[in-house]
Amino acid sequence: MTPAPVPGEAVVLRRSRLLQQWQLVLPLALFFAAFVLGPLALLGYVSLHADVSLEEASLTQYTKFLGDGFNLGVLGATLWLGLKVTLLTLLIGYPLAYLYSVSTSRWQGVLMLLIVLPLLTSAVVRTFAWLVILGRQGIVNELLVAVGLFEMPAKLLYTPAAVVVALAQIELPLMVLPIITVLAGIDPNLRQASLSLGAGSWRTFLRVILPLSAPGVLAGCLLVYASSVSAFVTQTLVGGGQQMFMPFYIYQQAIQANNYPFAAAIAMILLASVLAIVVTVNLLARRMRGVVHG
Amino acid sequence: MQSETPPNDDRSSSEVVLDRVTHRYGGFTAVQDIQLEIRAGEFLALLGPSGCGKTTLLRIIAGLMRQSEGHVTIGGEIVDALPPNERGAGIVFQSYALFPHMTVAANIEYGLRARGMPKAERAGIVERMLALVRMRDHAARYPRQLSGGQQQRVALARTLAVSPKVLLLDEPFGALDKNLRLGMQIEVKRLQRELGITTVMVTHDQEEALGMADRIAVMSEGRIEQLGTPEQIYDRPRSLFVAHFVGTANLFGGRLEREGERFAVQLAAGGRLQLDDPGPCSRPGQVSVSVRPEHLVFVPPADGTINATVEFALPLGPTVVHELALDNGDKVKVTLARTGGHAWLAPGTRTGLAVAPGAPVAVFQA
Repeated sequence: MTPAPVPGEAVVLRRSRLLQQWQLVLPLALFFAAFVLGPLALLGYVSLHADVSLEEASLTQYTKFLGDGFNLGVLGATLWLGLKVTLLTLLIGYPLAYLYSVSTSRWQGVLMLLIVLPLLTSAVVRTFAWLVILGRQGIVNELLVAVGLFEMPAKLLYTPAAVVVALAQIELPLMVLPIITVLAGIDPNLRQASLSLGAGSWRTFLRVILPLSAPGVLAGCLLVYASSVSAFVTQTLVGGGQQMFMPFYIYQQAIQANNYPFAAAIAMILLASVLAIVVTVNLLARRMRGVVHG
Repeated sequence: MQSETPPNDDRSSSEVVLDRVTHRYGGFTAVQDIQLEIRAGEFLALLGPSGCGKTTLLRIIAGLMRQSEGHVTIGGEIVDALPPNERGAGIVFQSYALFPHMTVAANIEYGLRARGMPKAERAGIVERMLALVRMRDHAARYPRQLSGGQQQRVALARTLAVSPKVLLLDEPFGALDKNLRLGMQIEVKRLQRELGITTVMVTHDQEEALGMADRIAVMSEGRIEQLGTPEQIYDRPRSLFVAHFVGTANLFGGRLEREGERFAVQLAAGGRLQLDDPGPCSRPGQVSVSVRPEHLVFVPPADGTINATVEFALPLGPTVVHELALDNGDKVKVTLARTGGHAWLAPGTRTGLAVAPGAPVAVFQA
């Protein structure tokens, strides 16, 4: 205990506390400004030039991108990939999260370990694991041939489906963790109330649990979508360059073609598209919650 | 199961029978060998401290839990194998468990929809339920826009809408503040009378149980200590536990002696109590005598009386509670009605104590 401060001291104390709070944010704010906002501004600046030497400012890079069917195709394929991955992760992730929420605490420990385990290895390692699994001599092919379903090893790797499956596995924790959090916050009595009012398990799930877990589903979907759309390594290695996605396109234009302004423009367009989708989905969800939650 | 009978109509209420019900969690026995018959239309309170097994018992009746042993019968039918939705037992949770994403009307309608009732019929029942619990003006609100008392009324309406054979209330007033509680107790009692529905209420609040229930089952450590009317429970406690748990009890150690046709207790702290009909223990020997604070009166101190010194007096609105010390140091509480003026004794006053004529006194084997 400190002795009671005289009035003047109290003012000084309060001031210094305010200053301290402000100072505490400073390191992160500086880091954010230097390594996120700064590069982003630089990227925007570069993208607004017609030539590689950044002498002539213009919007040509954007008009070039948006005026070409190939480019729009790449953008479309990338956004579509994100959607497929998100739906697949939701399909696998929701039951997993639900299973977690109804398990005993001992099983919850085991499940949680399984859920976060992928996060403990890098995306590159996990991607190579998928190469091994899906390759011509991979586990899946050997099994299918051994069982007699296939006569010859099938082409699994370097297909669009392989990219979706591998990405879904890699992004799964981002879907499962937010859903687990909302499910844990739902009063268990709601389920029992529903059952005792005469609803079966399915009706209880569809009418009570699912609507109340919507915020977690939404958070998970947005995380997975944003993350899978920009997953350069997995898209490129598992896809094998058979189909072009935006991150590889950026890499190609920047590193291989040395066309930095165009690469910057593609990056800005990808960023803007994902941002637009995230904001739109959020707005729609909020309006829907207006209907659902009042 | 037919449940289309509108709740206000003449319904046949059902009796509930628990036949040697035991429930264990792992090695812990939560309820043991419970034998209980709840009559049709009766309001029964399961009263006991937390952990006594009363909530477990309620959940077993509701079907939210399956007992380890024994049978539950509702309306003459053994329901052990039936899931909650087929038992006809409606439960109101302490937290109300209203669906937060549905309006008041949708909450009430929920059970009816689950039973596949046609829309027009549903609307009629919802309307009647809203009127029954006086929530007509709030039909379109969401639970979080309601006060605690209103939420509870909606929870009641939601449960009653599906015409349960038995209404189960789990600590129904626990979440309400004191002023609201009394109002809701009266309202629930009114509803229960109007509908004549068999009701089982779990509570740890003795006043609530004494005030509302037709009969009370006092529970302790998984067993029923005493089953009886509120008067029996309060005035004729069968065990020390009941005497202590329900109401306040002064305990006097002493020796029960026979005096011809009558009995007397020679108290350890000095003084003698004359008793006509000691109970539940009437065997001469060491006993504990339990006397309610409101059953003691002040008399002039004398040789044969219980003598004590006033330590302080608490004027609590309608009553005044005196705390006194006996000569051996034991504390005694005496409650007097406040009859106007400065009617209580000042600290330090020496006084004698006597049991008011006709007041019940319980004697337990020590």
